[in-house]
Amino acid sequence: MEYQNIFTQIQVRGPVEAGIPLPRGDDERIGKPIYNKLAGWMGYAQIGPIYLGFLGTASLIAGTIWFVIVGMNMLASVGWDPIQFIRQLFWLALEPPPAKYGLGIPPLNEGGWYIISSVFLLAAVLMWWARVYIRARALGLGTHVFWAFGSAIFLFLCLGLFRPLMMGSWAEAVPYGIFPHLDWTAAFSIRYGNLYYNPFHCLSIAFLYGSVLLFAMHAATILAVTRYGGEREVEQITDRGTASERAALFWRWTMGFNATMESIHRWAWWFAVLTPITGGIGILLTGTVVDNWYLWGMKHGLVAPLPDLWPTVVDPAIGG
Amino acid sequence: MNQLWIPFAAAGAVFVGAAIIFGADWDTPPVDSVQIGYRGSGMVQVLDREDQAALKVANAVLEPAYQPDPAGPRANEVYQNVQVLGHLSEDEFNELMFDITQWVSPVEGCNYCHNPDDLASDEVYTKVVSRRMLQMTQHINEDWQPHVAQTGVTCYTCHRGQTLPANVWAKDSGPGEKGRAVGWRGGQNIVNKLAANTSLPTDALESYLLGEKNIRVHSLTALPDGTNKNTVKETEESWALMMHMSESLGVGCITCHNTRAFNDWDQSPTQRVTAWHGIRLTRDLNNAFMTPMEPVFPANRKGPEGDVFKVSCNTCHNGVQKPMYGASMLENYVKSLGTQTERGVPDFNLWKEGETKVLAPTNTSSLAPASGAEEKALASAD
Amino acid sequence: MALLSFERKYRVRGGTLIGGDLFDFWVGPFYVGFFGLTTVFFAGLGTALMAYGAALGPTWNIWRISIAPPDLSYGLGLAPLAEGGLWQIITICAIGAFVSWALREVEICRKLGMGFHVPAAFAVAIFAYVTLVVIRPILMGAWGHGFPYGIFSHLDWVSNVGYQYLHFHYNPAHMLAVTLFFTTTMALAMHGGLILSASNPGRDGTLYNNPNEVKSPEHEDTFFRDIIGYSVGTLGIHRLGLVLALNAGFWSAVCIVISGPLWNKGWPEWWNWWLDLPIWS
Repeated sequence: MEYQNIFTQIQVRGPVEAGIPLPRGDDERIGKPIYNKLAGWMGYAQIGPIYLGFLGTASLIAGTIWFVIVGMNMLASVGWDPIQFIRQLFWLALEPPPAKYGLGIPPLNEGGWYIISSVFLLAAVLMWWARVYIRARALGLGTHVFWAFGSAIFLFLCLGLFRPLMMGSWAEAVPYGIFPHLDWTAAFSIRYGNLYYNPFHCLSIAFLYGSVLLFAMHAATILAVTRYGGEREVEQITDRGTASERAALFWRWTMGFNATMESIHRWAWWFAVLTPITGGIGILLTGTVVDNWYLWGMKHGLVAPLPDLWPTVVDPAIGG
Repeated sequence: MNQLWIPFAAAGAVFVGAAIIFGADWDTPPVDSVQIGYRGSGMVQVLDREDQAALKVANAVLEPAYQPDPAGPRANEVYQNVQVLGHLSEDEFNELMFDITQWVSPVEGCNYCHNPDDLASDEVYTKVVSRRMLQMTQHINEDWQPHVAQTGVTCYTCHRGQTLPANVWAKDSGPGEKGRAVGWRGGQNIVNKLAANTSLPTDALESYLLGEKNIRVHSLTALPDGTNKNTVKETEESWALMMHMSESLGVGCITCHNTRAFNDWDQSPTQRVTAWHGIRLTRDLNNAFMTPMEPVFPANRKGPEGDVFKVSCNTCHNGVQKPMYGASMLENYVKSLGTQTERGVPDFNLWKEGETKVLAPTNTSSLAPASGAEEKALASAD
Repeated sequence: MALLSFERKYRVRGGTLIGGDLFDFWVGPFYVGFFGLTTVFFAGLGTALMAYGAALGPTWNIWRISIAPPDLSYGLGLAPLAEGGLWQIITICAIGAFVSWALREVEICRKLGMGFHVPAAFAVAIFAYVTLVVIRPILMGAWGHGFPYGIFSHLDWVSNVGYQYLHFHYNPAHMLAVTLFFTTTMALAMHGGLILSASNPGRDGTLYNNPNEVKSPEHEDTFFRDIIGYSVGTLGIHRLGLVLALNAGFWSAVCIVISGPLWNKGWPEWWNWWLDLPIWS
């Protein structure tokens, strides 16, 4: 078992890693790094430093403003009762404006706070996104993480911006709350006739499950060859060692096909990135192009036939 | 020293873990399951045996005190101010009065509704209400057989030995909604006791069981034709009603729907038709019976916003798909509660506590609003 | 089929769990082994039975075919072939094929001198499947509680079983599982993106730190420390990814196995324990 590499058995405490030197003009990294034993069992024990810079700081401030607006509205929605605020926290939400205001400016206390907070949330997300790009370039890295983050932002914008614009109402946006956003999700499926019959929803779920499957396969494979140094993936990419060869042959012998140390990360990236992209497309099509996915599925021969068990049932509202 | 959080975190985790394990109302196998749809469709109702056993005890029927003699002079010949049950014999009338006391006010006794010095007097508000409730029971049993069938209802279906049925509702928009700069909830996003404790809209019963808001949110065409303006919010409110119905009956959505196509009647079990009539029945009762009686109810019999308590599915069903597990208490009271005898409605604004001796319909030949509301309800298309 | 350039030296005998050298051979790229044969047997039989089931059914449309489990009335007994018996045999075949596949992976691991992480991980997926079609049906007393084998019909099953509990999103284990699915996917995107960005740093527009040069794990760690203040490391990300992915599968199995056997009400009501905690009053 000691070679299975499930967790770090001996945690070394050397000098902390300061990180690759930053280009001139950048800020200083902040925070004195600490060691955390819990984190050290799984990965590196070192926490910090972090590069905040202008964008990071501004993003955190904007995100905090969003968070506080949502929280204060939740607290107010239970009559400023702190106990009920905690007790009902999962039930509370900041609700988007009602449909009657369309894409107009609603009153502050009828969705106005939602719009304002959303602006801050969007600013926070976009600044964080830009930051990911700039940090990658500052270290001379490619921008793959930036683009992957972009795909998640695309889904976020589909839900909160693009689809409301297409439908002509801010009311179409998702409430900021734990249970309320789950209510919204399920009711969205009900309203549009069962999202399971939305082919882009199917694709998104397939990529979601596929991503989890891929990560399990990939992570397990790498852990299984860590005894040969397989976790040094970039080195294995440029200078293939026995770890890569065994990892590749494992899958070749198992399923007749293998990725390479580099291409597995392309598979991974695309599966993960296509999850929100296909999901976002599914959202954009719903209510705009298709109004009842079940009936769409009927039309296109997707629905499994069932025997008519209740032939006497007719809509009582018809000819009542 | 900075490890102090560990015992606190551990204690918190133990507390929450214990609350989840012992505090949540877990069931244990074996369970009973009833197949509703085609095999493999997942339309299966699952019932916990212990819960069902407890419900069966709580939903046992009561037997009549004795078999009354149907012969002899009529109640309206023997007693004063008998407007609805005058056609019964004196013995039948007294037996029913005894049973109603057992059903509604076993602790409070006759005096809950009657002035003991003048049993015929209408001066106690509960007597006026009771008479209207008798009319309501007759109305349900005669006019709402699509919902109650021959099983019918009695006072006990709802009251269960309590003066106020356990499961009634009134308007309640909750805290934080009005006249503030922050905290608007859009009529939802708070623990909704009337919708299975979800955060779904809280005014669903008001919209659908008092008002006639359209319950149906689906489009009947695959592609948008611009006619269906329902948003997710309307869907959530409709769903809140459905949650309430499910909770009231102790069933899941699949008792009435194949959820792959909620709106499709061709795939719906027959119970959905019964439920459709039940919605309209409840709406009728609230509009024709409960709301008009608002003037006579005292403040402690009204909700936080001053409206009278109203009927929902749960008022009769009490967590069971067929109230009293389908046993008919009405069969012993067909003569008294099975058909409508007096359709007239008095003007409740005229009633004064402690003064009104007789509150009778102003014009007994007038059209009963009850049946009028029913026709209207049946004609509404949702 | 041609071997990979380095493959020949790895194709050595040994590592089998059963059958000694008898089945220790390759067919094309595939390793066979005893469990390769059982995999082919179960997978072949199962697929053939599904085709038979489709032939009995009303459609050959791949989206509409559905092989349904028996009626609940058969309980835990056997059903006639055309009334769920096929589903029962196909389920046995599926489990047989999955387990054979996992054991074959064990043999390949032994042959390549690798750890057993992959078959162990696959075992969690098999466990989730077995939970759906064996454990939960047994706990509820009928094979009819299994899900039908059909592309859209199994989604109908998911829908109906979910709505039996009124609002499945309130199932705490479902919440956990969905969160883990999303988190795993996010972690995969970040890991995949990071490795690609280190090995493909880009040719143009790179201003600092040696453009064109493939970067080291030190760059990877620095990138994530700069971004979020923590880098789990090259080894750690694979542990983390595996833990996240396996938990996603595990909690999915939990969320369905408690629905019915341990919970028969609406899932939103589960949260009453929280609402009713004595600390609120």
